[in-house]
Amino acid sequence: MRVKTRVAEFLFPIETDSWLTVLRLGLGLQVTLYALSLRTDWAYLFSGTARKVAEALLSLQGHFIPSLGWFVALAARLDVPEETVLLLAWLGLFVSGCALLVGVGCRFSAIAAWVLHLCAAKSGGFLSYGMDNFMTIGLFYLMLSPLPDRLSLDWRLRNLRPKNPQLLGFWRRVLQLHLCIIYFFSGLTKWLGSGWWDGSNVWRALIRPPFNVIDPEILVRWKDFLPLAGILVCLLESGYPFFIWSSRTRKIWLLGVCAMHLLIGVAMRMYLFSLVMIVLNVAAFGPDLFRRKRQPIMLQPEAATS
Amino acid sequence: MAEGPTILPLSFKNFSHKAQELISIAPAEQLSPSNPVRESVNTYVQLAGIESGSGYFAPNVPSGYTLVFELHYRDGRVEYELPTVRSAAAELRIAGLLDDIGRTPYDELREILLKTLAQSIWRKHPELQSVRAILGSLTLPSVREFEQGKRESYEFLYAYDFSLQNASAKKNDH
Repeated sequence: MRVKTRVAEFLFPIETDSWLTVLRLGLGLQVTLYALSLRTDWAYLFSGTARKVAEALLSLQGHFIPSLGWFVALAARLDVPEETVLLLAWLGLFVSGCALLVGVGCRFSAIAAWVLHLCAAKSGGFLSYGMDNFMTIGLFYLMLSPLPDRLSLDWRLRNLRPKNPQLLGFWRRVLQLHLCIIYFFSGLTKWLGSGWWDGSNVWRALIRPPFNVIDPEILVRWKDFLPLAGILVCLLESGYPFFIWSSRTRKIWLLGVCAMHLLIGVAMRMYLFSLVMIVLNVAAFGPDLFRRKRQPIMLQPEAATS
Repeated sequence: MAEGPTILPLSFKNFSHKAQELISIAPAEQLSPSNPVRESVNTYVQLAGIESGSGYFAPNVPSGYTLVFELHYRDGRVEYELPTVRSAAAELRIAGLLDDIGRTPYDELREILLKTLAQSIWRKHPELQSVRAILGSLTLPSVREFEQGKRESYEFLYAYDFSLQNASAKKNDH
């Protein structure tokens, strides 16, 4: 019984909505920048045969996974061309990102951003990469979390309140555990890889097109630091679940991981990948470190208004 | 880990393969594709973004692939062009696509994906007679090799010829 109580306390801690504010603002910025970054290539990437092949392969996984093909097929019945549908999808994604940033229609915007990004990621298929998975993960949790948060316009102007504020702690805990699993296994697999101990994988990652931002001639001058960088990356990732929970080591670990993602973003031009990782980390473990002590939301469900 | 070189003994590779099979049982991969349990699990993992693990270049940083289009004009001219996109964000995605094309064991899939990229070249140059898509793997030098003057090199893998007349491509292997 005591174990059951402790597990329940761990999974459903009383929590403020600061982390949700960070997640909403961060993912709002991420979705907006994602849409802007692909604006000029959007139609090229998501039209034509590659999309159809990706969607055909996706249909083998399940028939209820959304894709841009759904909207294209639906619009075709109304004689709306594919290009228009793609443009509307891009516009929807951009607007939902902006709406999340300011906190208008939080729940609807989060769902719209999740659906539209998921459609693009799944229809992109072969064009998707890790960043898309992390965006989906973040938007999935954001959509399920008790929105709106106190800094959103929904709260301040429309006087909306979350329906289930007691779930704030739960969804944050899920995000925290998810990140721990991701980093631990990523770090463990790197330790077992042959090229992280001697820095050769850091070298390869930095000189491999299209990530080769830094001139290899400059990197060679710093070659003695490459093994150290490789080991540090492994240490930060595999040590994440062990050092992120303790209040003594949390700050250093969180700053270390965020610095690592920042450096990856700058040195490998993976800005959006870095941003989404920093947002997820800061939302999961950051607010306790940098905020003033706030009163947790203790609304009774019957007192809540939608 | 089942695929790449690790610091573990070679015998561990067999274990990794077995573990991989076990893990694939967990998300109901062994059930028939129409099985509702399998479909539900697959749908959930896709919706939640957890259908594949992200290892951030673990256990090792793989070599990349490169694609060059050889453009054959009706007047006999030959030009070369790389697949181009306008934004840096899309460039990262094209690099990922080339990795998929290079790594897939399915010839048909490789051909379809290359054809898709070739079509965009065709739209840009409608006067072309044919397009040859040449796929190569990229070999990166080590730090020591780089200091000795070695630079990245490309090894020819496949070439596919596309023309407006033939729907399917002619493939040339290395």
